[in-house]
Parts: sequence; C-alpha cells; structure tokens
Amino acid sequence: MTGKRILMGNEAIAFGAMKAGLQIASGYPGTPSSEVMETIISHAEKYGIYAEWATNEKVALETAVGAAYSGANTIVTMKQVGLNVASDPLMSLSYMGIKGSLVILVSDDPGPHSSQTEQDTRAFGNFSNIPVLDPATPQEAYDMTKLAFELSHELETPVILRTTTRVSHGCEDVLIEDIGPVSRDIEGFVKDARWAIFPKLTAQRHPLLEELQVRMSDRFSEYFKDSSFNYITKGSSKIGIAASSVSALYVKEAIKDSSDVFSFFKAGTAYPFPEKAALDFMKGLTDLIVVEELDPYMEEQFLQIAGKYHLDINIHGKKNGSFPVSGEYDVDVVIDGINRALDNIITENIRLSHSIGAVGPEDIPPLPVRAPTLCAGCMHRTVFYAFKKAAAKMKKKTGTDPVFSGDIGCYTLGNARPLNMVDTCLCMGAGISVAAGLSRTPEYMQGKKAKQVAFIGDSTFFHSGIAAVVSAVYNNADITIAVLDNRTTAMTGHQPHPGIGLTAMGSPAKIIDIAEVLKSCGVGMVKTIEADELDKCMDIATEAMEFEGPSAVVFKGKCVAICKGTGQYVVDEDKCTNCKLCIKQLGCPAIFSISSGTPVIQDTCSGCGLCAQICPANAIVLKEVAQ
Amino acid sequence: MKFDILIAGVGGQGVVLASRLLATAAMDAGFHVATAETIGMAQREGSVTSHVRIGDDVCGSLIPQGKADLLIGLEPAEAARNILFLSKDGNMVVNEHAIMPSTQGSDEYDPEKILSFLKESCPQTITADFTGLARDAGTYKAANVAMIAASAGAGLLPFSDEYLWGVLEKMIPEKYREVNRRVFDRAIESVSGISVTESNKDE
Repeated sequence: MTGKRILMGNEAIAFGAMKAGLQIASGYPGTPSSEVMETIISHAEKYGIYAEWATNEKVALETAVGAAYSGANTIVTMKQVGLNVASDPLMSLSYMGIKGSLVILVSDDPGPHSSQTEQDTRAFGNFSNIPVLDPATPQEAYDMTKLAFELSHELETPVILRTTTRVSHGCEDVLIEDIGPVSRDIEGFVKDARWAIFPKLTAQRHPLLEELQVRMSDRFSEYFKDSSFNYITKGSSKIGIAASSVSALYVKEAIKDSSDVFSFFKAGTAYPFPEKAALDFMKGLTDLIVVEELDPYMEEQFLQIAGKYHLDINIHGKKNGSFPVSGEYDVDVVIDGINRALDNIITENIRLSHSIGAVGPEDIPPLPVRAPTLCAGCMHRTVFYAFKKAAAKMKKKTGTDPVFSGDIGCYTLGNARPLNMVDTCLCMGAGISVAAGLSRTPEYMQGKKAKQVAFIGDSTFFHSGIAAVVSAVYNNADITIAVLDNRTTAMTGHQPHPGIGLTAMGSPAKIIDIAEVLKSCGVGMVKTIEADELDKCMDIATEAMEFEGPSAVVFKGKCVAICKGTGQYVVDEDKCTNCKLCIKQLGCPAIFSISSGTPVIQDTCSGCGLCAQICPANAIVLKEVAQ
Repeated sequence: MKFDILIAGVGGQGVVLASRLLATAAMDAGFHVATAETIGMAQREGSVTSHVRIGDDVCGSLIPQGKADLLIGLEPAEAARNILFLSKDGNMVVNEHAIMPSTQGSDEYDPEKILSFLKESCPQTITADFTGLARDAGTYKAANVAMIAASAGAGLLPFSDEYLWGVLEKMIPEKYREVNRRVFDRAIESVSGISVTESNKDE
C-alpha cells in the first residue's frame, strides 16, 4: 500500500528493488548490508521472487549475472570488503554488460563500525567503469534503487548502489509505493558471442565502454535540472560547498544559520562524475570546500576539472588538511572542517559554531571501558579457553608456543582480554592460509615453534576456507584447523548457510557436513565434538596440535543469541574462596566483582557452565540447585 | 519543530527496539523522523547508542553534540558517556541498574558516583531502577519499554503514550504483550507526579 513507513535504509532498498520488478536476488551477509536480502527474503513468497544466500560474494555476483544474462531483474548484496571477493567477475562484467537488470548493493562502513577496512566503493566504480549511485537517506535509497534498475536495464550495464552505515542502518519515514505482482516472464538465455569474454571481444567492447562513461556522465549532469538527489543551490559568496552521501546532510545542518552565504552542490550520482554540472558550479567560485567520508573521491574529480579547464579556484578538503582523512563524519566534524577551510580563505570572516551542551568533556568522570565481547555462554569462549589451556600445557612440555590465527566473525572477539586468542586476523578465510604460511618459517622448521592453529567459523569455512584447506593439505602444512560451528552466520544476524540444511527461503536443503568436507580434502585427523565439556575440548585440542600434518576439529554448539540456554548459575558465597579465576580467565560478560567482593553472576547468564567447570572450589552452582 | 532523543545502553539491552518504538510512534503522531542505530559488532555487550530525530527541521540522523532534548540512559555509565550530546535545557531519564563490565574496570566503576554526577549535571534527571521495575512486572528485559513509557509519562516526549502503546502492541508478539503492558503501566505510574513544563521542550 502506498504510504509512509518507518524503514531502515536497507529495508527501503529492498522495497525499491521489489517495486522495480525484482525477480532474482543473491548475496552474502555482511554488516551493514545484510538487511536488504533479509527484507527481500521475507517478501519473496508474496511477490514471487527467488532469493538465495550464496557461499560468498563472488558466487553471489556470478549467480546474479547468470540470471541477468537470461533477462531477469536481479540484485546482489554485500558489504564493501565483499566486493573485493567479487571483484574478479566485476571487472570483466563491465566489458560484457548484461541483459535484464543487475543492481549491486555494496555498503561502505566509515568509522569503521564493523569492518576491516574503510575502503570506498565509489573508487571501485571508477576502477571497473560501473556507475555508482550514492544515496544520502533511506528515502533516497528507495528512489535511487528504482533508478538503478532502470539505468541498468536501459544501458545494459550493472549498476552499483553504494550506501554507508548511516544510510543502511538509519531509519526514516519513507514514502513507498504499492508493489504489484512481479512478472515471472524472463526471456531466457539467448546464445550469442557477446556472453563469452575473449581478448578480441574485450578489445571490441572497450571503446564502447569508455564512450558509455561519457554518456552517463552527461546524463548525470542533466539530473541536476530536476532530480531530488542531484542539485545545486546558489549562495551570496564566492565560496561553494560540495558534499556526497550523508555528509550533505551534515553540511546542511552545520551551515543552517548561514546557508544563503554558500553555494551548495550535492551529487547522488558518484560515478561517472557529472563533469558538466560540476564545471558550471565551479565557474565564478574562488573556493570550493569538499565534504565527504572515506576517500577524497569527489575532491579529486573537482581538482581534475579545475586543472582540465584552468579554473582559478582553491579546493579545500582532505588533501589540504581541512578535513579528517579517515573516520566517520558528523555535524561537529563538518563544522570543524569547514572552519579550517574558512581559515584558509582569508577574506571571509564567517565561522560556524558548535552547540554548547549541558556538560563539557572535562566534567565527565572516568568511565568503565566496555569493548564488544563474546556473549555470555558463547561456545567460542569454551573452545578458545580449551586451546589456551592445552597450549599452555604444551609449552611446559616442549617449550613451544603456538600462534593462533583468527578469522572474520563473532569469534574475532576472541582477541579480547583475558582470552587473547586471536594473534592474526586479516580477512574472510585467511586464518587457515596465514597459519600455513606461518608454519614455513625457519624457526618452525627447526622445531622451535608449536603447531600453527587456525580458528574459522562455519559460514566463513564455506565462504573461503575450503580452498585454503585444500592448499594446506596439498602442501602438507603443519596446521590445526579449529572450526567453530555454531550452525549460523551469527555476527551478521543469523543467516543460514550450507551447513545447516535450510535455504534462505526456508526450504530444506542438503547439509554439507564440514567434517566430511575436511576428510574428503585429505585432512589427516578430523574430529567432531560438542563444545560444552571443557576437559574433553582440551584433550581434543591437545591431540590435534600434537598430530603431525594438517589436523582439524569441528567444535559444535549453539549460538546463545538465538538458542536460549537452560538454567543460570550463581556463586555460592560460602564456598567461594574469592580467587577470581572465573573473572580473570574467562572474560564472560555475565560475571563481575567489585574490588574485594566475591564474584556475582548477572541476569545475562545463559547457563553454559564454563565458569562452574573451572572453579577450583566448586562454588559456582546452578540456581535451582542453590535454592 | 525539532526534538532529538539519544538512547544509550549496552548491547543486548534493547536500544534498537527502543529507537524503533520511538520513531514509529513519532511518525504515527504525524512527525518526520530519522534514526541512526548501532548494529553489528558493537552490539555484542559493547556501548551502543541510537539517535532519534523528530521534526521537519531534521537533517542527518546523527545528533550533534549539545543538541539532544532527551537522553535516555539504559545504564548509568552509558548515559554519562553520551552526556556531551545533551543540550543545556535537555532532560535525562536514567536507569539506576548498572551493568558491570566483566574483566576491565569493574573496580573503578561506582554507579552511585556516576548517578550523582548525572543528577548534578542535569537537575531534572529522572532516575529509577527500571530493570528492577521490569523484573517485578515479569521480565527484566523490558527495561527499555519501561524507560520509554516513563519518558512519555513524565511528559518528556512530543507525543502521548497512546502512540507508544499503539506501536508496541503491533511490534510485540502476542505472548509477550501482557507482560509488556504491565511494565508500561507501572513505569508510567512510577513517574506520576513528575511532569516537565512545556517550556523545557525545544520550540
């Protein structure tokens, strides 16, 4: 029903896609992109859409490409680092183009809040010659998703819809339209030489591709006449401000009291850059302040235009030190940045001011550090602790000290004190290969180093762990693989994966058994164990680390965020010797103590019992037993 | 009209649900609204905030420092951590129930001290053990609902508590509705007698 709804940016994108006639969707979860697919999945049956979670972003993109080659309207979703994984098909795809439509939703994460990098997908557009739309609000995200489908279909090119965390994970009252029944008509694949890339075809297509970039740039300049996302307003001074994405909103709020002074340029079409409109805007200005998160992408475009047309204009942004080169922006960051730029524009007396709040920063007393940590009762804590204890024993015996390579997922939080169990973490699936590389050092070869251990989650194993396992076995790397199998893609919001027997749409699927995969890859020792009894986990960790050649243990458990635990533990104060082992060793967020007091277990205890298993005084007991 | 609410808490306390509730109620009451939420890694027991901006003058979803009209602190230290956002005339509703960090800083964290700092900084701060109130009413997890209801009950929101309950009723699965209603009513009752004058509200 047409009307306003409170929607998260990611939900708005899903509704925009469904309104545009989406037929087939694929993706791999990744914060802050996951809710786009989740929203599509929850409406898939109603609108006759087919949606699937792929094993990784490359597979997801290629799946969408196949469907688009057949004429389907498709979307593929991922986070920014996912696009790195999908970059191989992406780079070739721009030469080939598509039929149907293909929108690639990629979410960037300035800050970063939940990512390894602060990379900028607008640069990927430039790199791959694929247009990039860059909405600033959930409403723009809805509108521009529809535009992305139209452009993709008309120009036979994939279109990247790029969001940032604040667009994807912000909510707004979004005006959405009635979604009619989705057409199930897909033309089907028509055999044609254009679908098989060859050097000769690439050579033929390349000039056309470059010509398309110019045409798109011109079209995006035209959008300044009557679109809601590309616009220019004129101010009284010769100073202009250009901004993209949410930064445009921060600028508006920052200059609220002097908005008539500055000319303002906002482009929702990031790539190809609307050069003609930008040139018109720059003429007559003496100074241009560019406000954007992540890369100085627009700034470089403006600098290029200034050079190309010999414009006498100073450009202020990240490159002259006016704005921070990294981190997330907000209104206060933008006020400081604009003021720094204005300091360089000596003729102007105007300065922006911050709001004065109730309290100054110097008044705030010291506060407890509250870093993200593994949930109370998380199975990963048991496994990490088991390996920690097993490794400590080995160190006593052999004097060697294993390196623990981590991976991407909730279990990256195993790096937090007091566990300290993630010595390396690079990207999805890297733990196993990094461990293999570590095992090639001369020290290791001389027997001075313990076995290299790689932790990997179940979803990450399917994403990009398997190729690393094959390589490790093929090259006989002396590593132990510890699979942390909690039967869900937990960090991104509990999406299913090939190991659990359910598809994205909820139909039963074949279970791909991780232990069987490891065995069939030739891993010499493969064991599976429930990760609830610490002693057993320790024994198996020792066995795996002592095994010569590649070994693996699949630790199975439940994610406490979706499977409620049974029972809660309490500390029996009469028995407790106040050794604080439970606090010092485990870092469970349910247990705390204040200075001399005995440990207290809070409401968030989910009853895993790990603390009870390590308590030397047997003072931690189930609540029901204690009562 | 512009009314900015910052909700601060610890991952798992239901900060996101609280901001959705406020945003949807604000929209139902006829306002434009924009929010920014913490979702992802920081949710795992870390410090989290939601920004809820209500009114036609709203630009971006992040509240600038010194601009929040209302700070809802689901945990004392988290309220203090975000107090720079509070405007000079702003109000605070703070949960007295502290969540002690496990390994670091429990020794240095004295919730009583933080609560008195908050009250000194903002004399009109409303504090109560909303977790205790929710637990007594049936579930400690509904502290978020209790605090939103108390904010409405104290007249700190630009719309009435009926809009809130209207949204909650739709958002919450039927089997939890009764307990949430109990929490909602008791929270409103707990602040009866406390009411903030209109002049304290922005414009």
